[in-house]
Amino acid sequence: MMNFFFTYQSLFDHILVYALLAMSQYVVLRAGVFSLGTAGFAALGAYGAALLITKSGWPPAAAIVAGTLLGTVSSALLALPLSRLRGVFQAVATLALVQIVLSATQNWVSLTNGALGVNGIPKVASTGILLTVVVVVVLLLVAMGRYSVGRAMDVIREDETVAVSLGISVPYYHRIAFIVSGTLAGLGGAPQATSSYAITPNEFGFSMLVAALTMVVLGGRTTVWGALVGAVILTSLPELFRVFADYRNVVQGILLMLVIVYLPRGVADTLLGLLRDRRLRRAAPLAAVVVAPAAAPAKDPVRANFEARAHL
Amino acid sequence: MTATLVLKDVARHFGGVPAVDGVSIEVPAGQITGLIGPNGAGKTTVVNLITGLLHLTSGKVLLDGQDVSREEAPALARAGVARTFQNIRLVPDASVLDNVVAGFHRHEKAGLWANLLGLPSARAEASDLKRRAMELLDRFEMTALADHRAGSLSYGHQRRIEMMRALATKPRLLLLDEPVAGMNDTEAESLAGIFRKVAAEGVAVLLIEHNMRFVMSLCSHLYVLASGRLIAEGEPTAVGRDPKVVEAYLGA
Repeated sequence: MMNFFFTYQSLFDHILVYALLAMSQYVVLRAGVFSLGTAGFAALGAYGAALLITKSGWPPAAAIVAGTLLGTVSSALLALPLSRLRGVFQAVATLALVQIVLSATQNWVSLTNGALGVNGIPKVASTGILLTVVVVVVLLLVAMGRYSVGRAMDVIREDETVAVSLGISVPYYHRIAFIVSGTLAGLGGAPQATSSYAITPNEFGFSMLVAALTMVVLGGRTTVWGALVGAVILTSLPELFRVFADYRNVVQGILLMLVIVYLPRGVADTLLGLLRDRRLRRAAPLAAVVVAPAAAPAKDPVRANFEARAHL
Repeated sequence: MTATLVLKDVARHFGGVPAVDGVSIEVPAGQITGLIGPNGAGKTTVVNLITGLLHLTSGKVLLDGQDVSREEAPALARAGVARTFQNIRLVPDASVLDNVVAGFHRHEKAGLWANLLGLPSARAEASDLKRRAMELLDRFEMTALADHRAGSLSYGHQRRIEMMRALATKPRLLLLDEPVAGMNDTEAESLAGIFRKVAAEGVAVLLIEHNMRFVMSLCSHLYVLASGRLIAEGEPTAVGRDPKVVEAYLGA
């Protein structure tokens, strides 16, 4: 058992870091914010922590906190203009952020060493620490999802018109989601730097952005479990099927297409839904009869008109 | 005493084409007021204008005597305007109970941090809201379905969820946009009883409907809209005999 653990330790670390990034992506998607900023905030968190440790000699714990806060502060600043945008415009705006951060890490050589990246970062984020952080974040997100904030986010994601009709302020909850997402991305980036000895700009590019997004789509976007399942599947698949290493992206793409076509709600959400339906059927066999889909048409203008005539 | 909702000469144009033109309506508290008209008459546009989803081209909307013509939808909802939608709009993956609880949003008091972290105040409020939602479910005879996914239920049940959600906001003004479309007479009659009770509690109810029999049995005052203009108003049976109304419906 321990042998197995040590063989795959770096894989576990990788899964845990990506679980944080996937949860960062999950929070925005749950609230109906189409943000792709996770990779950008993760880069800020990672570079912030790495540079504070290697160049300024900060203690690693303080540097990780600072890296996380960098994600929080930058997302809070961006949340103000972003909450006025919707859908594809949010996607483009956050994509621009990722590009800006990437350009800075590549070209601001005096600060970031450019394409060489930052080396010699002490490995302080052990698997245990990463696991603790992930568990705490999961507990916090479960709490967030269960009460008023999660409910408001669900309504906004499904239908903004309904949300405003219930007095829910859409920009307010979009901002909350975006800031929480930025914080989690920073929190994912900082330990990534401190668990892998070195970071380079390439790690935070398009592939990270797509990976975080894919994990949530694959796992499901209405519960935090979807992000976790997605992170585990997408991170471990390429390791378990090393034979396909060359076709890694192809396999990932096919997998994603299959899930979108056959499980559009994502693996975890679909499973949870099935479990719930089964529990309800067992609990109340009577209710199942009531639930049988009614044949009522959405609206029958001919009939309605006929009724109107008949009574005039 | 002025009516809860007053529309004064309200108009809304879309690119120069009037969808609603010169409409004046009064919806007093404690009564059900009807708004009928053929398809495309502008009924839903009127509802969207009242709830702030659309803004007026001209005219005024008064809520309890206050001009709310320029208010945004969330502010109006917080002021006590609730509605149901003609095309059902729920969170299909959430349970019936959670869908109804969402209606309590404007009455929630627990702070942001309490809700983010799941502190005791948020938990206490959540269980209190659940209890109140269950009372509504009881009233609509849907207690057994509380934990079911809203999207898995029949059309009639989904309409009821919409109504419970609207009532959960504890409205002063309730706008029902074709609440019994697609329901049979028995189902419609059971809802009619609930609407009467809601109005009797002092809520101003505006009922938009196609089903004439249903409107006749419920409303104390009726407005008829055709091509964006009011063509008749008054006591329901008199309006039903009005030749202009008959013509609009028969298209003679």
